[in-house]
Amino acid sequence: MDRLIRLPAGTNWGSPNGVTRQDHWATLLWGISGWFALPIGVIVIGLIAWALVRYRYRPDRPRIPAQFQYHIPIEAAYTIIPLAIVAVLFGFMFNAENKQGVVAAHPAVAIEVQGFQWGWRFVYPNGHVQVGTADYNDINDNNGLPVLVLPSDETVQLHVVSLDVVHTFYVKDFLFNRDLIPGIDNKFDINVKQPGLYPGQCNNICGQYHAYMRFYVQVLSPTDYASWYANQPACSVTTAGGPNDAPAVCDSTIQGLNPQT
Amino acid sequence: MTLLEERPAQPPEESAGTLMEIVPGPRPAGLVKYITSTDHKQIGLNYIVTGLIGFVVAGAMALGMRTQLIVPDNHFVTQNVFNELFTIHGTIMLFVFAGPFAFAGFGNYFVPLMIGAPDMAFPRFNNLSYWLYLGGFTLLLAGFLTNNGAAQFGWFGYAPLTEAIRSPGPGADLWLVGIGLTGFSGIFSAVNIITTIFTLRAPGMVMFRMPIFVWNILVTMFLVLLAFPVLTSAFALLWIDRHLNGHFFDYNHGGQPILWQNLFWFFGHPEVYIIALPYFGIVTEVLATMCRKPVFGYKGMIGATLSIGALSMGVWAHHMYTTGAVLLPFFAAMSLLISVPTGIKFFNWIGTMWRGTIVINTPLLFCVGFLLQFLFGGITGVILAQPVLDFQLHNTYFVVAHFHYVIMGLVFGGLAGLYYWYPKMTGRMFNENWGRVSFVLLLVGFNLTFFPQHDLGLRGMPRRIETYNSGAGWTFLNELSSIGSYITGLGVVVTVANLFQSFRKGAVAGDNPWDAQTLEWACSSPPPDHNFEALPPVRSERPVWDANHPDMLTKVGH
Repeated sequence: MDRLIRLPAGTNWGSPNGVTRQDHWATLLWGISGWFALPIGVIVIGLIAWALVRYRYRPDRPRIPAQFQYHIPIEAAYTIIPLAIVAVLFGFMFNAENKQGVVAAHPAVAIEVQGFQWGWRFVYPNGHVQVGTADYNDINDNNGLPVLVLPSDETVQLHVVSLDVVHTFYVKDFLFNRDLIPGIDNKFDINVKQPGLYPGQCNNICGQYHAYMRFYVQVLSPTDYASWYANQPACSVTTAGGPNDAPAVCDSTIQGLNPQT
Repeated sequence: MTLLEERPAQPPEESAGTLMEIVPGPRPAGLVKYITSTDHKQIGLNYIVTGLIGFVVAGAMALGMRTQLIVPDNHFVTQNVFNELFTIHGTIMLFVFAGPFAFAGFGNYFVPLMIGAPDMAFPRFNNLSYWLYLGGFTLLLAGFLTNNGAAQFGWFGYAPLTEAIRSPGPGADLWLVGIGLTGFSGIFSAVNIITTIFTLRAPGMVMFRMPIFVWNILVTMFLVLLAFPVLTSAFALLWIDRHLNGHFFDYNHGGQPILWQNLFWFFGHPEVYIIALPYFGIVTEVLATMCRKPVFGYKGMIGATLSIGALSMGVWAHHMYTTGAVLLPFFAAMSLLISVPTGIKFFNWIGTMWRGTIVINTPLLFCVGFLLQFLFGGITGVILAQPVLDFQLHNTYFVVAHFHYVIMGLVFGGLAGLYYWYPKMTGRMFNENWGRVSFVLLLVGFNLTFFPQHDLGLRGMPRRIETYNSGAGWTFLNELSSIGSYITGLGVVVTVANLFQSFRKGAVAGDNPWDAQTLEWACSSPPPDHNFEALPPVRSERPVWDANHPDMLTKVGH
């Protein structure tokens, strides 16, 4: 039943299925929209095709057809029915949007995500920093990509901050985008169901090397995450694909606005 | 004035009863006419031809981008050149082609003809609009000649990437001034066309007898008056930031980058309907003529146009769902609502075909192409209007596919209009067979280009990336898309060749080759200066039909 609601066309067209506890609202809305959109699309295309074939010019059609212009019942129907459909769709959407957008007051882990031209810094509560910049010469070089390490099955709060221009935090498997805009405080919760390695990428044009501003999200089981986190000294810096070369002390101007530090 | 004074004064010919020219002497022709004419038809043609040149130039840029993306890790162009290409492609397509081609090109040419006016209300002002527009187009292209290249931040230029420190050089300034000039041109056209429609209608042509095309242009022009000044002001603020040490969009000195997004999209979403409404009007006229029936639900159609115009002023922040700084339910509700009047238009178009006698020719085929593609773009639009789904799809290729379906749908409508009015504008018929070939090429090429891009977006490909990882799984769909773009390019070449060839060799068209309904078909093809020697009486919204089919008069009212 659930599958029937979510996949009216029987396929998700290559879209990821989603791995977080927040993204089932997106797949639910896909299904509901599809159940309205597919029949409407088929009906409208069908009507156009039927009219073209049925009423095309041919010898047995009158050269000049009847000159009628209005049909109030039909016109009223195709005004009122779409209004009702839109109202129903809005109801589902409003509910989903309220549920998905909840931000926990006390998340299990809070991490600050900083974007800059062209790379990412992930600042943990104890001041540990995972950082990485792109290899601008080789789009296929995945070694230098910064890694955001998260626990699975926990509510993780990401606080996304831009250090220069507008960037967007985007992980396709989370079915989620959120912009990093100077002057806007953006926080959202995710709760990833399974451990795994998920690719992410900046999703807003941010200059010359926008395409190279990629990263990984490494989701570990809660116990693995706990032991990984215990091994990261406070205020240490791990640079992806390179030696530690950043300041080894907590520097509030670099650490940003993380409320947990 | 010197031109006029130097002409030898000739006495007007003594033929009483025929139309006399106001200025004696030879009429300007060729280049002089192109530069100096205040005739709305000449200026309309200037816009149409310039707009088509913009379409071909920006289309060539798109082919460059598709060639770069055809395989992963490609090096056909550099990162900066790629960023210039998509920025100027989008800017020219929107500010030089899609909008002005319809509302200034067809609007100039056909609004006075359709309401029975001799010219626009302000003919010289009209000429100024065109030259501002051409200046803007030239400046946009001139960016490529500067040492840092053209603008590289996308057509909506999000601050603070556009600040002088991050986008140095004159390329970004040329982009600013170029769009500013086309903005002024649009405002001037709007003032001119609104005045023309309100003051220069022929006797009997009350508002509720104007063709739907004129109604749509009228609403479009009001949207231009509401939206373009905001854009021009935002550009002035950005200019102050870049050159006078202003900090409107500079967060480090108390500015707000999000302000730019609000100002830009407050223009940017009405702009979508500024582009769309004239093409809706064109399709309505072509369908009514080719189905040999009046427009179905004429008054409902006008109501739909007015409500689209009103709603379009309140949906701008649906471009900003992922900023986390807008009221999601309000903008979602408005965006979903706007699908209702658009749906009414669709059913009215189908109603116009219903029980008609449909002549299937090139203009009608392009209308059908418009209907199919715009329908698909509309349905994906309803999906993107929902914030929870937009959180997944924002800025991916799904969005690119969505708005190309919308805008290429409109381009099909524009080509329907171009073929429909070609006999009126040139006096000659186009080649019907090559018209159909161009339709098939464009339809196949376009859908092959953009349908796979929906899937690319679902698979996570962000827009505006210059290249992508070989392991991302996007290669096959990108190859399909690029092949489709080459077929589309071939379709454009066939279209342009047909238009050129028919201009020289086409059969003479006559005044009213389609048995059409509205006033522009009451004068000769092409229309003479000051348009009409005599007007048929206007007693319904299709006076030419009433004159030609006195046994089948249009019923007035319900």
